[in-house]
Amino acid sequence: MGLYTLRRLLISIPLLLVISAVVFTLLQFTPGDPLDAYIPPDQVLSAQQREILKVDLGLDQSKPVQYFKWLGRAVQGDLGYRIKNGQPVLAELGRRLPPTLLLMGLGMTVGVALGIFFGIVAAVKRYTLLDNTLTFLAFLGISTPAFLAGLLGMYVFALKLGWFPAGGYQTPGQGGVLDILRHLMLPAMILSVTYIAILMRYTRSSVLEVLFQDYVRTASAKGVRSYRVIAKHVLRNALIPVVTVIGANIANLIGGAVFLESIFSWPGTGQLYLDAIDSRDYPMIMGTTLILAIIILLANLITDLMYGLIDPRIRFS
Amino acid sequence: MMKRSLLALTFALCTLGSASADKVITGAFDQGPGGAPGQFNPLTNTAGFTWLNKYYSTLVLYDPAFKTISGDLASSWTVADGGKKYTFVLRNGVKWHDGEALTSADVKFSLDLANNPDSGSGFAAKFGNITKIQTPSARTVVITLSKPNAALLDALTNFMILPQHALSKIAPKDLRNAAWWRANPIGTGPFKWNKLVPDQYVELVANPDYFRGKPKIDRLVNRYFKEQAAAVVALKSGDLDFSYLSLDDTKTFSGNAVKIISGPSQVANYLGFNNASPVLKDVRVRQAILQAIDRDTIVKQLYGGGAEVANCPVTNTKYVPKGINAYAYNQDQARQLLKAAGWDNSRTVEVITYYSDQLSKDVLVTIQQMLGQVGMKIAPRFVDVPTYNQTTGGNDFTMVYAGIGNGPDPDTLYPSMHSDFIPPNGTNRMKVNIPALNKLFEQGQETTSTAARTKAYQEMCSLANKQLPWDVLWSAKRFGGVSNKLSNFIWTPAPGGGRYDDKAYLWDTK
Repeated sequence: MGLYTLRRLLISIPLLLVISAVVFTLLQFTPGDPLDAYIPPDQVLSAQQREILKVDLGLDQSKPVQYFKWLGRAVQGDLGYRIKNGQPVLAELGRRLPPTLLLMGLGMTVGVALGIFFGIVAAVKRYTLLDNTLTFLAFLGISTPAFLAGLLGMYVFALKLGWFPAGGYQTPGQGGVLDILRHLMLPAMILSVTYIAILMRYTRSSVLEVLFQDYVRTASAKGVRSYRVIAKHVLRNALIPVVTVIGANIANLIGGAVFLESIFSWPGTGQLYLDAIDSRDYPMIMGTTLILAIIILLANLITDLMYGLIDPRIRFS
Repeated sequence: MMKRSLLALTFALCTLGSASADKVITGAFDQGPGGAPGQFNPLTNTAGFTWLNKYYSTLVLYDPAFKTISGDLASSWTVADGGKKYTFVLRNGVKWHDGEALTSADVKFSLDLANNPDSGSGFAAKFGNITKIQTPSARTVVITLSKPNAALLDALTNFMILPQHALSKIAPKDLRNAAWWRANPIGTGPFKWNKLVPDQYVELVANPDYFRGKPKIDRLVNRYFKEQAAAVVALKSGDLDFSYLSLDDTKTFSGNAVKIISGPSQVANYLGFNNASPVLKDVRVRQAILQAIDRDTIVKQLYGGGAEVANCPVTNTKYVPKGINAYAYNQDQARQLLKAAGWDNSRTVEVITYYSDQLSKDVLVTIQQMLGQVGMKIAPRFVDVPTYNQTTGGNDFTMVYAGIGNGPDPDTLYPSMHSDFIPPNGTNRMKVNIPALNKLFEQGQETTSTAARTKAYQEMCSLANKQLPWDVLWSAKRFGGVSNKLSNFIWTPAPGGGRYDDKAYLWDTK
C-alpha cells in the first residue's frame, strides 16, 4: 500500500504540470492583461508609469519566459506575489484556506452523515411514503444550484427568521469560537444539501442491492438482529460505491463553496479565486489552481485508499 | 474534564468579545461605485476616498453639496502670480496619530511622492505642472506651477497628506504595495487605524486629539462584501448601519428601520463612439442615435425617475448653458438623418459596456429596440473591466455604453476628452480629437477668473453638444441606506467617493 501511495503521488507531478500549463495558456486567451485590470478605466497613467509597472510585474517578458519563471519558483515553493496588493500568494492562500476547509469540512461531515443515514432509512423503508418523500427531497436538493440555495437560505434563515447572521465570518470586534460557529452554520448547512441529496440516492440503491444478497438473508435467518445485519453485513459492502461518490464530489463541493463564499462574504479561497480571475491576477490564479488541484488529487487518493480499509479484499498491488 | 474546560474557555472568549459597550458604526463604506474595497494606498487609489479620509486628511475639501471648497488641514490659502503660485497656511497644532506634529514638510513630501513615477500615482497627471514646492516655515507651503491651473484645488480635495517621518524610509517603488498601508498607517483624520482583518473588515478607533474635536463614536468599522446582495441583506438584518444601494435595492426596503438617502451621482452615462473609426464619423448618424432614443421614457420607466436627461458631458448645471440642443425624441427625424447619411441598415454595431447590473442590461436592451425601430442594429456586449480597458485602449471597437464621473469641476473631463490623452497616453478612450475642444479645456485650467472659467466650460459643453463626440444620455441618482439608529450622519454620492465635509467626528449612534 505504501508503494501504491508513492506511485500515485509521483504520477500526480506530471499531472500538476499539465494542469498549470493548460491554465497558463488559457489565461493568455482571456482579453485584458493584469495591467488593464490593475489600472482603473479612469486612472491617468503616463506611458512611463505604465512601463515601470510592466517591468515591475514581469509582464514585459515573453509568455513562455513568464511561465517557466513561475514554474521555476513554484517548484521551490514560491508562488509569487499577488498583483493586486503585492502580498505573497502563499500567504494569501494560507490565510484563506482555513475558512474554506472549515466550511467544506462541516458541510461534508453533515452531508455524509445525513446522506448515508437517510439513504439507509429510504432503502429499509423502500416504496413507503417516507421513502417517496425522501426521494422527492433528494431530487429537489440535487437540482437546486448552490447559489440559489444560498440566496434562499439567507433570505429565510437570516433575514426573515433571524436565526443566523447574514453572512460574514465573524462579528467585527468579536470573533470568538462560538461567534465564528454561528456564522459558519448556515453556509455549511446549505453546502451540505447537495451532498446529502446525492449520497442519499447512492446509499439507497447500494443498500438495496446488498439487502437481497444471500449472505444478508443468511444472517437474518440465523436470527441476528436487523440493525446488526444492516450495520455489519449490509453497510460494509454497500459503502464502497458510496465512498467513490464522496471522493468524486470533492470538486463539486469546491464549486459550491466558491458561490457560497461570495454570497455569504466568507473569506475563503473560493472568493479569492473569483477575485483573482476578475483582476486577471495571474500569480494568484495559478497558485490557487495548483493548490485546489492538489487538494482534489489528494482527495481522490484518499478515496482509493479508503476502499482497502472498508473491504480488506481489495489490495493495492 | 477536557471538554468542559474547553467549553468554559469558549464562553469566556465570547463574553470577553461582547463585553465592550462602546459606540460602534458598522458600514459597507466601500460598497458600490465610489468604493475601492481593500485598496489602501491613497496615492494610487482612484476611488474609496470617503473611507480613506476617515483616517487621513486633505489640505482642502468640498461641502456636501460640492459647491464650495474650504480648508481642512489648510486654514487658509492665497493664489498669486496669475494663478501660478498657491500659498497654503496649515492649521496650528495638528498632530499625526503617533503624536508627531504635522508640518509643511509632510505636504511637500506627499506631493513629491505623487509626482514620482515610481510611486505609480494617478495624481501625477493632475500635479504634473508643479515646478517647485517650498516650505518657508513649518506651517507654510508654496506651490509654484509652470502654468496656471485653476483645477488644482479640486484635485487637492482628494489628495491625502502623508507622514514624512513614517514613509521616507520606504523607497517610492516599494511604497506602492507596502505593508505599511495595511498594517500601521498614520494619518491626521478623526479616526485612527486599529486593525485590518483581511477581506473582512477594517476597524478604526476614535482619535481623541482630532483637530476638530474627539469623535462621538468609539469605533468605525468598514465591512467588505464580494456581493452587493450580501451587503443589502446585512443592512436589512441590522448587521450594518450603512451601505450603498442600487435603485433596485431601494425598492425592497419597507418599514422605517432604514432610511434611504439619495443624491446626484455626478456621473454622465453616454454612448461613446470611437472617433477614430469611420463607422460613426458622420455627425448625422450620432444625432440620429440620440433622437431615436426615448430618454424621457427610459428615465421614467427604468430609472423610476431617479435620473436626469443630460445633453452634454458636464453634470454641474452651473456649466451647462441655456439653449443647447435637447435632441428631442423623434424617430422620423432619426430615420431621415440616417438615410441622409447613407447608413447601411444591414450593418450591426457592437456596443460594449463594463456595466453588469440589471438596470444597465434593461437600458441597453431598450436602446437596442429603439434603435432597431429606426433601422440601426446594435448588439450589446457585456464585458469585465480588463476586457473593456484592453478593447477601448486599442482601436478595434465602435461604440460603448459607459459612465463618466466628472465631479463638481469639469476639468475632470480633461483627460477623457483632450486629444493629448488618447491611449496609450491617457484615458481619452473614445479618441476625441477636436482642436477647439482642446483649447476650451486648456482655457478652463489657465484662467483664474471665475467668470471666464464658467464661460469656457459652457462653451465646451455646447461644442460637445453640437459635435457629439459622445451621445450623453442622462445622469442618474445614487442611493444609500442608513440605519435609523444613526444621527448626524452625512453621506452624499460622489465620483470615486470624492472628498467632502461629512463631519464624521459628529456621527453618532443610539
